Amino acid sequence: MKVKFWGVRGSIPVPGESTNRYGGNTSCVEIRPRGGWPIIIDAGTGIRRLGKSLMEGAFGDGHGTAHVLISHTHWDHIQGMPFFSPLYRRGNKLHVFARQQADTHLQAVFASQTEDPYFPVPLVALEAEIQFHELVEGSQFVIDQTVVSCTRLNHPWVAMAYRLDCDGASVVYCSDTAPFTDILLEHEFISKPPTPGAAMPTSMADKLAAMRAGLVALCRGTDLLIYDTQFTVDEYRQRPHWGHSTPEDALIIAREAGARSLCLYHHAPMRTDEAQDAILLATRWTAKQAGDPFEVIAAFEGLELTLGDDQ
Amino acid sequence: MRIQFWGVRGSIPAPGPETNRYGGNTSCVSVRSVAGDLIIIDMGTGLMHLGNSLLTTEFGKGHGKATILLSHAHWDHIQGLGFFAPVFIPGNHFVLRGQGKSSSMLEGILEGQMDPNFSPLYTLKNLGASFDVRAVVPGEPFMAGGMRVTARSNPHGSSTALAFRLEEDGRSFVYASDAGYPDSGPSPEVLALYRGAHVLLHDTTYIPADQATRRNRGFSSYEQAADAAIAAGAGRLVTFHYDQDYTDTDVDALRDACRAYLDDHGGQHIDLIAAAEGMQLEV
Repeated sequence: MKVKFWGVRGSIPVPGESTNRYGGNTSCVEIRPRGGWPIIIDAGTGIRRLGKSLMEGAFGDGHGTAHVLISHTHWDHIQGMPFFSPLYRRGNKLHVFARQQADTHLQAVFASQTEDPYFPVPLVALEAEIQFHELVEGSQFVIDQTVVSCTRLNHPWVAMAYRLDCDGASVVYCSDTAPFTDILLEHEFISKPPTPGAAMPTSMADKLAAMRAGLVALCRGTDLLIYDTQFTVDEYRQRPHWGHSTPEDALIIAREAGARSLCLYHHAPMRTDEAQDAILLATRWTAKQAGDPFEVIAAFEGLELTLGDDQ
Repeated sequence: MRIQFWGVRGSIPAPGPETNRYGGNTSCVSVRSVAGDLIIIDMGTGLMHLGNSLLTTEFGKGHGKATILLSHAHWDHIQGLGFFAPVFIPGNHFVLRGQGKSSSMLEGILEGQMDPNFSPLYTLKNLGASFDVRAVVPGEPFMAGGMRVTARSNPHGSSTALAFRLEEDGRSFVYASDAGYPDSGPSPEVLALYRGAHVLLHDTTYIPADQATRRNRGFSSYEQAADAAIAAGAGRLVTFHYDQDYTDTDVDALRDACRAYLDDHGGQHIDLIAAAEGMQLEV
């Protein structure tokens, strides 16, 4: 399978010279099983260019089918959807998957994204056929020859990590999540970080441990682990309640799960290319010191990786 | 008054080396009065960078006050709000004026952006700063930051967007983004709003060939902008709200074609400037 990055940024798109190399578009990754339709993870602004590239093939004639796995519906993971050209061509089919809180249907969430007065083209006016599929954590399903598994992450409201297995290889997409140590975010609004040193209720600690175990199991032996590493350690200390991890957190999970490579992802909006280079080098150094056998890379727009027997 | 451009792009932010010169952030313009008061027009992603620059001022200490004028609530005009650093500092105060059948409906629209499905902020009330949200009555002037502000409504696809005229000490600046006129051009009320503006910032999303195939989207080409500037007797025309697919070279060409169009249609005396991120303009 091929894995291509179209948007690697977290929170908000950041155009400008300081992000030219890594790219300023928000989260979007394309997984292409050998000979198969694209499976897209997240629909940040990066999906706009992916859509243009797909229109050069079967999607341009209205004969395309795409599956979109949404980690969660925060803006930076869905804001490109209304600019995904294949949606405006009759005959194309789109399947959208996400975990949703019990009180709102996934379709309603996406419909409200483009309702008046926010966007001029409502969901019902799109030419393509869209089907929404609500997931529960731990569910497993098949898209053509690809097996998709998922587990819940530690992020405000709800977020899911996905694992895709096909062509004798696997990739895990783990964004967005806080580490499983200081705070359980679930779905309540948390305005402040937890009091340092405060004891965590057992029920919370148990839930976090279970969530962490679920993620480690999902990542077991994966060829490529794409991980939310938006924060430095200092940034995390200030904002543990924002639901993002550090490269150190990612290394620990990758190590424990026996991942074969780790990809830093969901870069902070104000992180310049030079600062991101430094984070990558520091993370590689830490991994080397620890004797980690896996490679560490940092995602950038346009990066394409080939995994498994798709050579 | 002094104008600064923080985002000049339409529809969706457009990062990449090909937009470095004009910038890829969505609509946001700041206006400083002679006395130093601040008016912000539209809250696209450019607002984040304006906010970061304000942290060294009174806004960093929680003593900041500003008026925000909102042309309309399409995403590219509100998506910067949750990333505007001054709103997280208690003590700062913002008066937000935009279109809505009522003030509470306008506030509800802003709340919708922060719905927990979409944003961890949940509600405007979780922001440290206080907000006073008020619907604008088109044609009824009000004072903001020592400037006299008048709004008029323009057609914008199936919807509408406000244009604003700001006046101070006999100088005038008009902000008219997202304007999709009928073939007859701007309404008499809107043309009166533009009349004699020292600076007319106008929607130039498209070149005419692109606009012709996308009329239903409710944007202008540089021809409608130039026609409006000529009809209104504007002193200076500023192009703005470029299509997300236009590269810097495309915008250069748009500007040059607009200049030629002005020259051919009786607008030789109108100064033309292509808005770019970071650019400042004294009115």
